[in-house]
Amino acid sequence: MTSRANSYSLAWDFVVPESLTGTQKWVLSAMKSHGEGLVNMLWRILANEEDVCDAYQDTFLKLAHYQGGRKPENVKAYLFRSASNTAISMLRRRHSERKFRTNIGAKQKDIRSPWQELDSKQLQERLREGIAQLPDALREIIILRDLAELSYEQVGKMLGISAATARVYRCKAVRQLAVWLQKESNNEYV
Amino acid sequence: MNTFKANNQRCGRIAEWFYKAVNSRLGLEAAWVQKHISQCPRCQRRLASLGRLNLAFSLIKSQPHNIDLLMRANSRAISVLKHSLRYSIKAEKLKKIKPEPTMLDKFSKYQSTLVNTAACIAILLLMKTGFVNSARKVEDQSRSILKNYYARQVGQDMADEIFDA
Repeated sequence: MTSRANSYSLAWDFVVPESLTGTQKWVLSAMKSHGEGLVNMLWRILANEEDVCDAYQDTFLKLAHYQGGRKPENVKAYLFRSASNTAISMLRRRHSERKFRTNIGAKQKDIRSPWQELDSKQLQERLREGIAQLPDALREIIILRDLAELSYEQVGKMLGISAATARVYRCKAVRQLAVWLQKESNNEYV
Repeated sequence: MNTFKANNQRCGRIAEWFYKAVNSRLGLEAAWVQKHISQCPRCQRRLASLGRLNLAFSLIKSQPHNIDLLMRANSRAISVLKHSLRYSIKAEKLKKIKPEPTMLDKFSKYQSTLVNTAACIAILLLMKTGFVNSARKVEDQSRSILKNYYARQVGQDMADEIFDA
């Protein structure tokens, strides 16, 4: 990942003339203003520090290359949406890899006892899996509202919808996630 | 433009008020909802699954990361930016940045002291504005009204005995 990024950066230095993009100091300003929030959100989605760094790097690389180095109209929205998409892709890849390994392996069902239901790590992983499976619109709301802890007004502004619509979408997402968690825990004990 | 803004703000306030009002009558706190849930197994299951979801969210949010994660993420991201940004003073600062606690976090340890001080100030203000004296006057007047009532009903001697004891 780092070597790919380095090659990108070298190409960026030579290909894009300084005059076209300006100094792009706003990228660093964006990092200063939204970096902490982004890291928190990515950490909550990925729960792995290496992955957080990768997703964070990818996000800022995309920002710097956005339309030939132009500043997006809403930098915060661009950063948070782009970071959440990157993180979800990584999460999906991780889950499919895990599934693949389980299939290749013993081919036996993971048997969990009721006390393991209380195991916080499993519950968290299951929720992450559920979030990754939500439809795009609902997933973005849940991530921005519950994991990035932004207000409905901010979420609405970022997604171009009203705060009330954001509230309705979140309600739908919560219902779907609750059903998903219930189904998953029922499947385990069958 | 200003009228539009004012209308919008009023609309927002009303929507907020409406949401709270509906929530108090139809939300989980409403007595009839709680009564229904206690008798309906389907709703109990739904509530349990929502509870599990809330628990999962709380667990995710409560997991701390290393304090230098922001620093490392910034360094990694800066390393792929163009040369002029990579070596700027701002970039150097970002590479050493640490997450800052919010104002709320900073002052949370002084919370009880602040609350006590505020309570003391409020009592002093009430005393200064004569509120305590007025309250005492009201108490004395109601006491004498009650005494008169008892004197009429059970006689002066009995009333004196009750109220002057």
